Amino acid sequence: MLNRRQMLTTTLALGAMHLFPGISMGQARRLVFATFTGSWEEAHRDVLVPAFRKATNNAEMALDPMLSVDQIAKVTAARANPPIDVMLHDPGPALVAIGQDLAAPYPVAQSAHYKDLISDAQDPMGPAPFFQVVGITYNPEKVKTPPTSWADIWKPEFKGRVGITNLNSTLGTGFLVEIARMKGGSEANVDAGFKAIEDLKPNLGAVAANPGQLATLYQQGQVDIGPGNFNAIQILKARGVPVEFVAPKEGAIAFKTTIHIVKNSPNPELAFKLIEASLSPEVQSKLMDSPYLIVPTNTKVKMGGEIAKVLAKDHDEMKKKFVFQDWKKINEQRSGWIEKFNRDIKI
Amino acid sequence: MSSATHPPVTQYDLKLALPLAGLFALFFIAPLVLLIIVSFYTDTSMTRFGLDQYARFLLDPFSLGVLGSTLWLGVKVTALCFILGFPLAWIYVRAPRWAQGILMLVVVLPLLTSVVVRTFSWIVILGRQGIINNTLLGLGLIDAPLRLLYTEGGVVWALAQVQMPLMVLPLITALSRIEPNLEDASAALGAGAWRTFFRVTLPLSLPGIIAGCLLTFAASITAFITQSLVGGGRMLFMPMYLYQQSSTLNNWPFAAAISVIFLIAVLGAVTLFNFLGRLARGTAEA
Repeated sequence: MLNRRQMLTTTLALGAMHLFPGISMGQARRLVFATFTGSWEEAHRDVLVPAFRKATNNAEMALDPMLSVDQIAKVTAARANPPIDVMLHDPGPALVAIGQDLAAPYPVAQSAHYKDLISDAQDPMGPAPFFQVVGITYNPEKVKTPPTSWADIWKPEFKGRVGITNLNSTLGTGFLVEIARMKGGSEANVDAGFKAIEDLKPNLGAVAANPGQLATLYQQGQVDIGPGNFNAIQILKARGVPVEFVAPKEGAIAFKTTIHIVKNSPNPELAFKLIEASLSPEVQSKLMDSPYLIVPTNTKVKMGGEIAKVLAKDHDEMKKKFVFQDWKKINEQRSGWIEKFNRDIKI
Repeated sequence: MSSATHPPVTQYDLKLALPLAGLFALFFIAPLVLLIIVSFYTDTSMTRFGLDQYARFLLDPFSLGVLGSTLWLGVKVTALCFILGFPLAWIYVRAPRWAQGILMLVVVLPLLTSVVVRTFSWIVILGRQGIINNTLLGLGLIDAPLRLLYTEGGVVWALAQVQMPLMVLPLITALSRIEPNLEDASAALGAGAWRTFFRVTLPLSLPGIIAGCLLTFAASITAFITQSLVGGGRMLFMPMYLYQQSSTLNNWPFAAAISVIFLIAVLGAVTLFNFLGRLARGTAEA
C-alpha cells in the first residue's frame, strides 16, 4: 500500500515531469515547428502539416507559432536540447540565428527539391520555401489613378493619407532601403532614404507600430496609400476591405522567408522531411492558391491565380520584377538606423 | 479548552505563506536577478561585464527624454483619471442603492473586456473616419478630419478610459468609509459646501486617492498595448523602447538595462506616492 508520503512524492514527481519535460529526456519528443502566428499558422496547419504526415507515415508533429525573436530566445536558452526542431525566419533574424550558431546546415545533397528552387531561395544554412513581397497598397475607392511607382506616394494629393511602419519590422526597414536605392543610395548608405522620409512627412497619416496594424489602418480609412505586404493585403481584400496591391515599376521588394533545422535538434530526419515538404511543388502550389496566396520559390510550380495576375506570370518574370535586398549589409547598420529613426523622424 | 494552549485565532502561521513565497522566488525573484545580471554585460553576445549599458542610457539625452516623457504620460493620465474619476466615485457613494448597482457595473465593465478590444474601440473612435471626426464634420465644425489617432492626446484619453477602474474603485472604498455625520457637523459649524469638501472630505479620502493614483500611474506607463496601438510606431515610450531593443535588435543587455532603470524609476514614483500618503494620513489625523 502507498502511504500518504509516498503518494505525495509520486504526485510531485509526476507534476514536475509535466512542468519540466526535460526531466524525462532521452524519451523521443515529437517534431516541433515554430511557424509564425496568424495566417502563416493557418496555412501551415492546413497544408504543410498534412503533407508532412503523409510523407512520414503519420509522424507526430506540433506547430508552436511564435515570433522570430522568441524562436531565437528559446533555442539560445537550451542550445544542447532545443525545444524547437525547425525555425522559420525573416531575413534579418535568419542572419542573427545563423550568426549565433543556432541553425544546422541543410543536407543539400540529399534534398530532392533544393536544386529546383530559384537561385535567390537557395541557401545551404536554410532554404527559402516562400517569398514575402512588398509593393504599393492603395484604397481604390479613394485613389482613382492606380499608383505605378514608389515616387507616387510623395504626390501632394496624398497629404495626410500615407501609412508606413517604423523600422522595427522587416517591411519598414525594407521600404527605407528601397527608397534609398531609388534616390541613389544603397544598403550601405540609406541617408537618401531618411531624407525622403523627411520629405514624406506632410503626407504621413500614420506610422504604424507593425505591419499588422498598418493593414488594419486601410480598413478604418486612416490611410489610403503606402507600402504593404502582398499576403496581408490579399487577406484584407478577401474580407471585403477596398484595397489593391500593385508592384511598382522599380520592382516589388521580395524577402526570403527561410526555414532552418535547429542545431542539436533531436529529430533531424523529421525536420529534414518537413522542410522537404515545404519546398515541394505540391505544397507550394497549394499554398499559392486562395486564400493563402503565398509566393512559391520552387521553379516547378506553375504560377497561377492572383499571384500570376498581380506579381509575375512565371519565375523568370519574377526574377526580373522582384528586388532582393542584401540583408547582411542591412543588419550591419540596422540598429543605427532604428536609433536615427527614433531620434530624427518626428511627426 | 483554555485559550493558553491555542495560539490566538488572528495570528496565522507564517508557514502558510511558503507556497506563495516559493512561487515568487522561482518565477519572480529568479528572473529579476537574471535580468539584472544581463543588464551588466557590455556587449550583445554577453561576454564581458561592465556599466556600459547604464552609461549609454543615463548619459544620453534622447533616452532620458523617453524616460521623462513616459513618466510625464503617467502623470497626465493619472490626473485625467482623478479629475473624471473623483466625481464618479462621489456620485456612487451618494446614489441610492439601485443606482449603485448600475454605476458599479459601469465602473467595472471595462475590466471585463480585454484591453486589446478596448484599445481597438479607441482606434475606431479617434480615426480619420472615426466617431469624433464624423460628428464634427457632420456638424460643420471642421472642414478636414482632425488628427486624433497617433497623437499623445489620443494616448492619454484612451489610457484614462482603460485604467479608470483602477482609480475609481479605491476612491469608492475611501469615500464610503467617511462618516457622513462629519460633513453634517462641518455644515452645522458654518462651513460651506466647498469648504467642507476641501477641509473634510478630500483629506479623509486621501488614502484612496493615493492608492488610485499609484495604480493608475503604474498601469498607464507600462501599458504597452494601448501605447503602441493608439500611439503608433512613432511615439516612443519606455515599453516600446525596451521591446525594440530586445525584439528587433536582439540587444538584450541594453534592453535589460532599460528595464532595470524603468523599474527603479517606477519604484521611485511609488515611494514618492507612499510618502505623500503617509504625510496625508498625518494631516487627516491631525
